[in-house]
Amino acid sequence: MSHSRIRCRLRRTTLSLAGALAFAATTAHAAEIVLVTSAASGIPALTEEEASQLYLGRRTTLSDGTAVTLYDLPGGPTRDRFYELLTGKNSNQIRAYWSRQVFTGRALPPREAKSADDLPTLLSNDGAAIGYLPDGQINPRLRVLLRLP
Amino acid sequence: MKWATIPALVLWALSASASDDLQALTLSGFATLGVVATDKADMRFTRVGIDRPGTERPDTGPDSVLGVQGNLRLGESSSAVVQVVSRENTKGNYAPRPTLAFLSHQVTPELSARAGRLRIPFFMQSDSLNINYAHPWVRPPEEVYGLSPFADLDGIDLLYRVRAGETDIELHPFFGTSRLSLYPDTKARLKRVAGANLTLSHGDLSVHLGHAEARLEINWQDPFYTALAPVLRDLGRDDIVARMAGNDGTTRFSSAGFQWDDGRWLVIGEYARRQADRYANSAHGWQLTAGHRFGTVMPYMVVARHIQDAAVVDMEDVRSLPPLPGLAELISGFNASRNLAQHSVTAGVRWDVHSNAAVKAEFTRARTDANAWGTFDPSNETAASHMGGRSINILSLSVDVTF
Repeated sequence: MSHSRIRCRLRRTTLSLAGALAFAATTAHAAEIVLVTSAASGIPALTEEEASQLYLGRRTTLSDGTAVTLYDLPGGPTRDRFYELLTGKNSNQIRAYWSRQVFTGRALPPREAKSADDLPTLLSNDGAAIGYLPDGQINPRLRVLLRLP
Repeated sequence: MKWATIPALVLWALSASASDDLQALTLSGFATLGVVATDKADMRFTRVGIDRPGTERPDTGPDSVLGVQGNLRLGESSSAVVQVVSRENTKGNYAPRPTLAFLSHQVTPELSARAGRLRIPFFMQSDSLNINYAHPWVRPPEEVYGLSPFADLDGIDLLYRVRAGETDIELHPFFGTSRLSLYPDTKARLKRVAGANLTLSHGDLSVHLGHAEARLEINWQDPFYTALAPVLRDLGRDDIVARMAGNDGTTRFSSAGFQWDDGRWLVIGEYARRQADRYANSAHGWQLTAGHRFGTVMPYMVVARHIQDAAVVDMEDVRSLPPLPGLAELISGFNASRNLAQHSVTAGVRWDVHSNAAVKAEFTRARTDANAWGTFDPSNETAASHMGGRSINILSLSVDVTF
């Protein structure tokens, strides 16, 4: 369905905010985990490849050279699943991989948010920050950069 | 500027800014507590250039490590890193020393340049030799990694990382010098080190190629050398002495390896070679590791071989000497004590007990070549004459953590 048709419909009918949200939810496929930034951030949508380069420490900037700050959730199922979906590596592989990156001085790991609840605040304080959350936990302060899977 | 001043500058930068900008400073660390025991009382397991052969059984010296690292962001594209490691050294103490102390600058998104103290990346896992948590083994196989006891690189390197299609390419040229203390009381140096590594990562497979060349200095102070040098000089054979120790050697290191890790199967193979025109022997080694993950537990097997290509003192030189009693035996001992040739089979298991801790157990059966000491040191003078052609069982246990 094209954007112009959606806009037409919105103009013609008086959809409530709740209705519009429900509509958006049915058109965008439900993701398991989403990569997010602050709603005010200028970071453009990312491809899976760009995001994986960042979260594997192979890049510290976007393709235009803008530096980004990465956030991790504390160790747990969401974090493990995020890396599995994005990089194909399980939690043991990722920890061994990152220990090598860090202690050979190649890269710094993402900063760790205290909890998923803290992440929106951390992201809205820093326009260059990126994090990830289960799809159901995003709020209007955040903008989705990538849906996984 | 002397390279030695860089670690001091970096430490100063770290301490000066640590107080006013805690956000930019990240502290982390790694540690291993390891014990190793052999079933031969006269053969002590040792890692050349790393630990002092110990009389303790089991020995905590070869594998135990504690490292602390500080990363400091200096603006958007620069950073400073200092890593200090305490582990048993060849003098037998645990004096902490800087293993990383460099300034890094991101020149472009693909290219970073680093200057200061770095790790010398001669082989596939050389730059993470202290980071046991990153490896499946208790320690990377000595048959390969014993080829270079050098660990520090005081100099510069470049990390150029690009992606071509679905392949990540890392080109890593490096230049500098390196110093080392060998047991007992021997100073060794590499000067004008120049080398490059190429790593290709494609999905679950990564492939490594590396080559480096350097000037080599070794001034041996062990009983073989100190006994032989005056005798050979008296015989007018300064040419042989000049090939045993001095400041005028050249050496080359080459390696090729791969790692396949699909999350269940882990297969690692590496071939490495050291050529030296004097002071050290020329040798090559290879290892093949295969492991399978069952959740957090990974049993693995390793087959490894180290072969000497050329001894330090050529046998033709030995035959050209007058038949003084004991002289040929002494030269054979000199050669054998610098020859790591052996083969081994290892069965081990790694268990990730906690998100940042792994417990490992390894059983190795090694056999030294007839003319070699292998990765062992004799516990007494009698033992020194029959280190070759022996079979030894080695049990290694370790706990690795990162924090």
